Amino acid sequence: MLRLINLAVIGALVIGAAWLYEIKYSSTRAAEHVAKLRAEIRRERDAIAALRAEWARLDNPDRIQILARRHLTLKPVETTQFDSLDHLPEKPVEIVPPGSADPIGALIENMVDPEVVTGSVVEPEANH
Amino acid sequence: MSAQTIQPASPPATGLISARRRLVHRLLYGRNVDRGAKARARVLLAIMVFAAVYAVVALRLVMFALVPESHAVRRTGSQDAVATARPDIVDRNGQILATDVRMPSLFGEPRKIIDVDEATELLTAVLPDLESAEVRERLGSRRGFVWLKREIKPQQQQQIHRLGIPGIGFLPENKRVYPNGAEVSHLIGLVNIDNQGIAGMEKWLDGRGLADLHRAGFATDREQKPIALAVDLRVQHALRDELVAAAEKFKAKAAAGLVIDVNTGEILSMVSVPDYDPNNPREANDPTRINRLSTGVFELGSTFKALTIAMALDSGKVTLNSTFDARVPLRYGRFNIHDYHAQHRVMTVPEIFTYSSNIGTARMALALGVEHHKWFLRKLGQLDRLRTELPESAEPLVPKHWGELNTVTIAFGHGLSVAPLQAAMGINALVNGGYLIPPTFMKRTQQEARALATQVIKPETSDKMRYLLRLNAEKGSATKADVKGYYIGGKTGTAEKVIGGRYSKTKVLTTFTAILPADKPRYQIFIILDEPQGLKETFGFSTSGWNAGPTAGKVIARIAPMLGIEPRFDLPPADRLILAKGQ
Repeated sequence: MLRLINLAVIGALVIGAAWLYEIKYSSTRAAEHVAKLRAEIRRERDAIAALRAEWARLDNPDRIQILARRHLTLKPVETTQFDSLDHLPEKPVEIVPPGSADPIGALIENMVDPEVVTGSVVEPEANH
Repeated sequence: MSAQTIQPASPPATGLISARRRLVHRLLYGRNVDRGAKARARVLLAIMVFAAVYAVVALRLVMFALVPESHAVRRTGSQDAVATARPDIVDRNGQILATDVRMPSLFGEPRKIIDVDEATELLTAVLPDLESAEVRERLGSRRGFVWLKREIKPQQQQQIHRLGIPGIGFLPENKRVYPNGAEVSHLIGLVNIDNQGIAGMEKWLDGRGLADLHRAGFATDREQKPIALAVDLRVQHALRDELVAAAEKFKAKAAAGLVIDVNTGEILSMVSVPDYDPNNPREANDPTRINRLSTGVFELGSTFKALTIAMALDSGKVTLNSTFDARVPLRYGRFNIHDYHAQHRVMTVPEIFTYSSNIGTARMALALGVEHHKWFLRKLGQLDRLRTELPESAEPLVPKHWGELNTVTIAFGHGLSVAPLQAAMGINALVNGGYLIPPTFMKRTQQEARALATQVIKPETSDKMRYLLRLNAEKGSATKADVKGYYIGGKTGTAEKVIGGRYSKTKVLTTFTAILPADKPRYQIFIILDEPQGLKETFGFSTSGWNAGPTAGKVIARIAPMLGIEPRFDLPPADRLILAKGQ
């Protein structure tokens, strides 16, 4: 009985040791991976910073101004080139309602003013 | 142990000794105790001691396992950046003004070097600007670590690495770069080789605790939040471009300009040429390149009349219709105060302002008295040193004995030297409804500004000042600065410079202040030209209306679209638009 227990304990010990080894090994691997990723992130960040600095240098207004003067015919905006939206002319009234099947008929219909009384049109409210 | 066991047993205790102690004692030493039981007790004791020791070991192991980071962090910390990582500085739109770039630095470990001469020869071949005698001396020393060259190029690092010299290594270091060069020099300042701020906003950053952080070894990462300043790079460029052009055109010794938000005190742009490139620190120490806006103090001339007239109007004793006698020069002691644009008649307050009458303003200040004058200027912050985030500031030069003569001259801007930034702050208060707001280089909202502000003049006086400034641009000395459509108000100033203790007639400092737009001001533009010369096209005049004024006009024409100011052409003249609203 005692021997059986001893054997079981030894077995458990071996399994436990193997399991521990596995965990330890994988955690080391994970830690190395983390360190590698950290270093990579830092390298990338440094590269981004360097590129951003370079971009800012290329974007410098002084440099752009020199280039624009040399290669473009654009000029600074004059105050007279601005206008407000209120000064836009009104959109013209649509003569033909959009999507009508008979545009010419609609046009003629629109031209007829129903209020005008002529010889051929009977006055609408003739109550005299 | 065996010796102890034959000791006489203690008498069966019934006294005060605790039962537990008695039990242990009997188990260990009692003669009549069963030997077997005694042995078991001893074994148990031994087991407990060993268990305790193992528990301590196990606990310690768990502790090590839980905090594995501390080792790694310390190691990379020392390998990494030696120089402080600094937060990026960006303008109000997020454009980078200063950033860190990682650069390798070359070092040597003299104890590990085998052949000093060979190493020196190889290194100087790759880095020609390296002094070979100095390198030999450094590598020949018995020290553990010497810097050979800070901040080398990546290609050079590659070349040296391939040489494979033992005892030579590289450390990555943070180097501060300013992509915009001289464009923002005075404003952001610069850093030294160890990335510590030595001027401008960089120094201010260090003062805010970055230096302590660095000393503690925490500021090595670049994950610090960028600092957003109030400055607008586009405005800064436009202002600098125009000032450089103006300084060249009028052959001025120096030029300076300021764009400040009237309602918040934010400094959108600050330029003082000649300036320096912060990437080249050697230029920064040149005394001719000082920041004339905050580190220099000047007699600002007639621009100061705006303050005098505001004082008179705010006192209630003078109205816009009051008249002052400017028929003859004002005699004071042995001094004669003349008018530059002499009219030889009795003038109203608006006329005094638009003709820039020295006699009129002097009489106005005299009518209120010396004490009132002093009190008003102190209230407007013109007599005390103005402190902003910039570490550089200058104390105004205030006369020690302020008599009536001083009041007479200070009324038209001579005899009191102030920093232009300070004067701009005062003029802001005259036009923004009477709030004195300390200028800042950081972003600030209108609410924050109001919380800091003090009401120094009445809002009605502010309306009148806006009217006077606009009137001056419509038919006074500032007409050449007027850009059609932006409704500018402005005041010129030409101060004679003191050369050898006397006022010079030829060397002048011209100033111009413009407010934009005058009916509801948003920005003030302040321009200074130091010793501009008269030109053929200015008919030989070197007064402000001919040089500083037009320069301000050009600046406004360029920056107003960027600042989102809409041109309006159908506005009535000042007396109908501004005064009618004020009454």
